[in-house]
Amino acid sequence: MFKKKSLEILFDSPVSDDMIKFLTDHALRVIPTQNRNQRYPPSPPGTPSSKNHNGVPSLMTFISRLVRYTNVYTSTLLTTVVYLNRLRELLPSDAAGLPTTCHRIFLACLILSAKYHNDSSPLNKHWTKYTDGMFTLRDVNLMERQLLQLFEWDLRVESEELWDNLYDLANPIRRDLERGAQINKTRQRAKAQAQQKASQFYYHQRNLSACSSTATLLGNSRSGSINSLDILKEYESSSSSSSSTLSSPTYTEEMNYKKYTMDPRYYNTVRPVQHTDPTIYT
Amino acid sequence: MVAPSQFKQLEKVGNGTYATVYKGLNKTTGVYVALKEVKLDSEEGTPSTAIREISLMKELKHDNIVRLFDVIHTENKLTLVFEFMDNDLKKFMDNRNKGNSHKGLEMDLVKYFQWQLLQGVAFCHENRILHRDLKPQNLLINNRGQLKLGDFGLARAFGIPVNTFSSEVVTLWYRAPDVLMGSRNYCTSIDIWSCGCILAEMIMGKPLFPGSNDEEQLKLIFDTMGTPVEQTWPQVTQLAKYNPLLPPHMPRDLKQLLQNNTEEVLDDNVVDLLHGLLQLNPDARLSAKDALNHPWFAEYNHAN
Repeated sequence: MFKKKSLEILFDSPVSDDMIKFLTDHALRVIPTQNRNQRYPPSPPGTPSSKNHNGVPSLMTFISRLVRYTNVYTSTLLTTVVYLNRLRELLPSDAAGLPTTCHRIFLACLILSAKYHNDSSPLNKHWTKYTDGMFTLRDVNLMERQLLQLFEWDLRVESEELWDNLYDLANPIRRDLERGAQINKTRQRAKAQAQQKASQFYYHQRNLSACSSTATLLGNSRSGSINSLDILKEYESSSSSSSSTLSSPTYTEEMNYKKYTMDPRYYNTVRPVQHTDPTIYT
Repeated sequence: MVAPSQFKQLEKVGNGTYATVYKGLNKTTGVYVALKEVKLDSEEGTPSTAIREISLMKELKHDNIVRLFDVIHTENKLTLVFEFMDNDLKKFMDNRNKGNSHKGLEMDLVKYFQWQLLQGVAFCHENRILHRDLKPQNLLINNRGQLKLGDFGLARAFGIPVNTFSSEVVTLWYRAPDVLMGSRNYCTSIDIWSCGCILAEMIMGKPLFPGSNDEEQLKLIFDTMGTPVEQTWPQVTQLAKYNPLLPPHMPRDLKQLLQNNTEEVLDDNVVDLLHGLLQLNPDARLSAKDALNHPWFAEYNHAN
């Protein structure tokens, strides 16, 4: 439930720092850290190992810079985690690399994600420029070719795989959606019960006055009846109190859910994404 | 990876969206192949069209989709090794229109080709792939009358919230009205419209809507199929390039229009199928599966 909607909300929100941190962690895990400072160059010796005139920038800054230069779609950026994890499984556990290997791996994954998923994407010469001299155009073309060969050109990403790989970022959104839905359900049930009770009372009241015409309506109605609005209020208060007993105490009222929806960190404009093929999702 | 020298490159056969195609001979097996060569421009790296065509076609193994055997990827050239097909539907129809009189194909041939086209398209859609460039040049034919979908350079996967679609897709004559009006959340219906145009073209021996630009293309479509109205196509007025000033048109009699261009006898079934494929409203268009179950294909459906 809500898996697809959570991914859509995640992809519609702007790139955040915790997204970049999330990607950095996964990129670093592709090559085990202790293997990453040996001098053994993974690509043919012809390629200069790295132009780190000012030393190798951290992967986090490298990714942030790429994101800023290319204003890449959040969805394209986050989908690279699927390729990073696929690569980790493909590479032998003793795979070794240079200090720049993780940057190279991340960049190649991002380029392929952009070229595969978006109808228009930057050329490799643009990507090269965004690395601020860290890689040459030949490096970028080579890393792209190597990754295509490793993946045997299979870049297809399925929704289930997307969900599993982005669980840490997407699941909090799903939990909030489920909680929001829960609040609405309890409120609807309460309202329905109240209306049903009120209509029963109204029906009963009408018969009473019809059969005892002498009774002054005012007298009877004042003492004996609870007007329907009172009933509604009574149920309203009980329903909201019952909702506060829900698992997370923070969600006492609609306001909290609204705060969540209004919080720019989570949404900018929720573009109406018309899902194309409903049959796939549960 | 296969060594390039394993193939003998023969004559040039044509050009795809982003490559030139040669006939090739597999020296070891003696089997003819089509060698699709993509010049690699270092500034672009591996073209996204090639990445998609290879990635998608590796998955698609079907009788009505041309088979990709292998890929040879060097620093400056990328060669795709396809099964060889003698001809394509455009050349096939052109050869029959010797001189200027355009002649449609015989109805049973039209039916056999359309059936195979829809089989290939249904298989793509089942695998959540849009072709997005269906036209006679991309429908390959061999001497045994088999028809296969080719040139997946504009194809792409759909179904996950990651893709961004462009509306600059499909060759103009076969582009659906919703796409012409700027829609970017189209889906399988984009290929179905092209199938409708191809069916009519096979019958008439000439393209149904040969527009030279977007506006004229829309005009030709609306002159024949009628101008879209909210009742039959909700939210059509919201489309970016919807033109409210268009003079309203009633749909013309499609059967009459087709009959004027062929000596073949047209039954109501084929016209009904055509109406199903050429619905202006993308949501009202038949799916490939529905089209395959249409009464016009009754004898094929009883057969298997």
